[in-house]
Amino acid sequence: MEEVLYNILGAVVTFIVAFVVGMTYGGLTRKITARVQNRKGPPFYQNFIDAFKLASKKTAIHHGVMHLMGPAFLMVSSVMTLLVVPVLSGNNWFPNLNFHGDLIFLLYIMTFGPLGMALGAGQTGNPNSAIGVTRGLSQMVGFEIPWVMALVALMIQYKTTSITGLMDAQAQTGTWLMFSSPFAFIAAVMAMFGMFRYSPFDIVGAPTELASGPVSENGGKFLFVMMSSGSVFTFAKLTLYIDLFMGGASNLVILLIKTFALYMIPVLYGITSPRYRTEQAVRWFWGWPTFFGLLAIIQAVILK
Amino acid sequence: MINDKHSQKIVDYIQNWSRKHSIWVLAYGTGCGAIEIPPTMTSRYDAERLGVRGAATPRQADVLLITGYLTVKTLKRVIRVYEQMQDPKYVIGFGSCTINGGMYYDSYNTINVLDKYLPVDVYINGCMPRPEAVLSGFAQLQKRIAEGRADGAAQYKENLEWYRANQKRIIPNWVMPEYNW
Amino acid sequence: METFSIIFAIFLGGAVLTYFAGKLSSVVQDILFLATVLVPTYLFFSGVSIGSSMPFSLEGISLLWGVNHFGWLFSLIVLGLGSLAAVYSVGYMKGKERRGYFYLNFVLSVMSMLGIVISQDLISFFIFWEIMTWSSYLMVIYSGNDVQRIGIKYFVFSAIGAYAMLMAIVIVHSVTHTFFIEDMIQAYGQMSLQLQIWIPILFLLAFAVKAAMMPLHVWAPGAYSNAPMAYTSLFSGALSKMGVYGMVIILVTMVNRLPQGILFREVLAWLGGITAAMGTLWAIKQDDAKKLLAYSSVAQLGYIIVGVSIGTELAMMAGLFLAVMHALFKGTLFMVVGAIEKQTGTTNFTEVTGLIRKMPWTFFAALMGIIALAGIPPLGGFIGKWMLYESLITSDHYLLVILIFFSSTAAFLYCYKFLFGFFLGQEEKEWAHVKEAPATMVVPMVLMGIFMVVLGTFPGIVLNPINNGLMDLGYVDSYKHLWETSIIFNSWGDHVILQPILYSIMGIFIFFLIFVLWKGYKGTRYVTTKDISSSGEVPKEDENLTFSVGFMQPFMRAVAPVMRRQMDKYYTGFANGLEGLFDFVRRIYTGNAQTYAVYVVVFIVIVLLFKDVLF
Repeated sequence: MEEVLYNILGAVVTFIVAFVVGMTYGGLTRKITARVQNRKGPPFYQNFIDAFKLASKKTAIHHGVMHLMGPAFLMVSSVMTLLVVPVLSGNNWFPNLNFHGDLIFLLYIMTFGPLGMALGAGQTGNPNSAIGVTRGLSQMVGFEIPWVMALVALMIQYKTTSITGLMDAQAQTGTWLMFSSPFAFIAAVMAMFGMFRYSPFDIVGAPTELASGPVSENGGKFLFVMMSSGSVFTFAKLTLYIDLFMGGASNLVILLIKTFALYMIPVLYGITSPRYRTEQAVRWFWGWPTFFGLLAIIQAVILK
Repeated sequence: MINDKHSQKIVDYIQNWSRKHSIWVLAYGTGCGAIEIPPTMTSRYDAERLGVRGAATPRQADVLLITGYLTVKTLKRVIRVYEQMQDPKYVIGFGSCTINGGMYYDSYNTINVLDKYLPVDVYINGCMPRPEAVLSGFAQLQKRIAEGRADGAAQYKENLEWYRANQKRIIPNWVMPEYNW
Repeated sequence: METFSIIFAIFLGGAVLTYFAGKLSSVVQDILFLATVLVPTYLFFSGVSIGSSMPFSLEGISLLWGVNHFGWLFSLIVLGLGSLAAVYSVGYMKGKERRGYFYLNFVLSVMSMLGIVISQDLISFFIFWEIMTWSSYLMVIYSGNDVQRIGIKYFVFSAIGAYAMLMAIVIVHSVTHTFFIEDMIQAYGQMSLQLQIWIPILFLLAFAVKAAMMPLHVWAPGAYSNAPMAYTSLFSGALSKMGVYGMVIILVTMVNRLPQGILFREVLAWLGGITAAMGTLWAIKQDDAKKLLAYSSVAQLGYIIVGVSIGTELAMMAGLFLAVMHALFKGTLFMVVGAIEKQTGTTNFTEVTGLIRKMPWTFFAALMGIIALAGIPPLGGFIGKWMLYESLITSDHYLLVILIFFSSTAAFLYCYKFLFGFFLGQEEKEWAHVKEAPATMVVPMVLMGIFMVVLGTFPGIVLNPINNGLMDLGYVDSYKHLWETSIIFNSWGDHVILQPILYSIMGIFIFFLIFVLWKGYKGTRYVTTKDISSSGEVPKEDENLTFSVGFMQPFMRAVAPVMRRQMDKYYTGFANGLEGLFDFVRRIYTGNAQTYAVYVVVFIVIVLLFKDVLF
């Protein structure tokens, strides 16, 4: 019983860390975007203010029970991903659920939220929401292919499907997987563009044509939960990449440095890019990223 | 505890502070004044440093910016959009047209005084107001929010019948849903 | 074993009685029908112990019926789904015409499927197989629509399969002089290589037709969507599993013993993978729910075929678990479509929308079915998918796992299309009158939905019988102690522990749901789907804002080259070939059943006459 309580406590702490880091990263992204566009930009804590304002909105509307449950579904996905990904290696601060799930489980739990959210967006009856959802799902089919190829390459090279197993493999050889399996890393990073949905892959929420797509009927606290979920999810995904390709992190500072460096790849690429159309985006993912994924698998088979 | 008068004051203060620094403007250009919004938002004047940014739909927005003259047709949509926004919400009247009709004061199909149809929190004078004036308008709104005086939504609710009568007088075929917040 | 005789006597007698009871009263007919399906089910699970058998002889040929673990597993699918679908049918068929015809064929189908899984000899296996084909064929043409195109297609493919199987049986008999399956398996090792290759191919041809494997699947979409939905849930859920049942037996007991069997299994697995991918793509394109689910059935059977043809223990477990899951969720989903068809009169996504508040229980069942289909944890579909991926990765099928992953990710698209098309979206005035389906239809669906949730966390309930069944087939059990619990393992020792995951998901979900509801609950109010932010407009009551035409257009544009180059090549090439075949066949098939009987006899005579020359 005590163990369970400690686990819950650890989960809450992890959640708070992820929330704060994710929100700060979001704010920094806005700041960096502004600087690239030669603006002053909002303060780095602007996202916290926005979130708090959304949470303190006095009214909200909903279109039915699935709409109410949408944000909760989204949160399940984010928090479960966060709990299954080992936050710090060789550290018992955040044990969470690391040992209960593996990569395949993670791939599926990561799709749980977007699908639940899609149901919520569907029930609003706003055509823009449904269009956004179809775009998002199409894009998901696109980027999951190189992403899974990269993961399969890692799995077969190190004969394990668990994240901790891959981290141990890096600890033993002393090299990061991004150097020993470079093609897998390239494919995974390219897939990351789709995962983070920055330009040119922000086709889901395209504010100018879809009126922010799936979230268009959500305001106030719904939007707050979605925003927090997005922050937590960002952190969880970055941590996953760090664990898989960059040897994990033994303390929080290293983790922050590594995740931020990685996070800047899609952000900086996105700032200077216009938006793809859906089929262009999907085909982009099935082009070079899939090619690199194939190379990664070939490399893994040869080196196995 | 939380309903205690003093703690309520503190909560209000914090909430107003966050509302003040996070103003999401509905991207809805009603008249010619909308042309001043792009320079206000982009690099030259950069309203985002004040926390002002665009929102895509009325559900997410805080501020409805009436950019210039309102034709009767547009007024109907504006009222609809305003009623879809979530509390607390503010209206900024932008340009002379919203104050007294401006150069359209004797037009057959524009309204002259916006305040009769929607509760305006802040007016920005000028035809057009330059981005500096827009920014100062936002600053004024922020000041009112911080002081807790930007209560247009509450006024609208209180005097709904008066507003409705005015709206119905000007809009010929009235098919709007009930507003029952 | 007396029980076997009683069960089949009840089935046959009940079927005939039910058929004629329609003249008496429809209530009597319903009760008789339910009794005819439910009583044998009860008798089978209470009275028949695993391992029991009943030898008897018919016209000098000694036959054997019996239950082993493997057959018991499939009888679970057949009778479990059969009895739920029977309850559902009573509600579904209320007010429909030709109820006697429906009930008769329904009972005959269930009986023949049970017969197939308890047959231990080839003769009764073949007879039951044919009864199954015929009863399902009669169901396919029940509605009278498209009999020419769909009915004949199904019939021709089934006939090809059946003749192939008959040929194999004759060959086996000419070599072993006995019809027992056990003896066939025993004798297989001593046969010549040529026979060792041809017998499995002929059998697999028959089974692949029923399992709708590429390229023998073209009958499936039409047949599944044309049969009454109450039957299609059984058709797709259980009847197609008979193909899997046969396939597993042939693969395990024959192909695995061949040194060249690996090629065989690879080809089958790839065919299964391609079936899965293309079935999925075509399912996304459909605008009719029946067609969508039909293509989806083809795709899902592709996964199962991949699992059973890879043939490692984990893959086999995955394939069979997916078979059970597929019976559950596809049964549910076809029932959902049936309920919607009954309540609204259409199954087209572009016509009907926004039923969630009118048919909440149906929506619940559909949601559970879709989540299981998509393989999202914590429902049962995930277990099967997980084991399939792990088995593919651990057995060096790297490209196949990508293909499978592609099709199961793309499956989200049609999953969403199904839920959105029917239940979500704008609530139109046109469908304001729709009511929830009657209890007899809702209860089976919801029961299956709940069962899928339970299986998601405690898969041991089904994995244990599967494990026993595999041991019956001669697998060495290397996981036994693990299937008791709710942990799933792969052969590298990686695992997923399901219970804490379920509890965490529930905990997080409820916490945030309460958070959303509690924070300013009074300020949250319900607004109709007409009250949306649509550029300040006020949509009128009868203004249709639903987005359903061209739903997955961007994705279809993205995969258009694939579908044009690959699918059309297969389809038009295959269809052109079939056209020619049909032209030829049309001259033979007169449409007169007696002529067909003559053909069968002539065929058997020819084979028997020339068996020395041929073999």
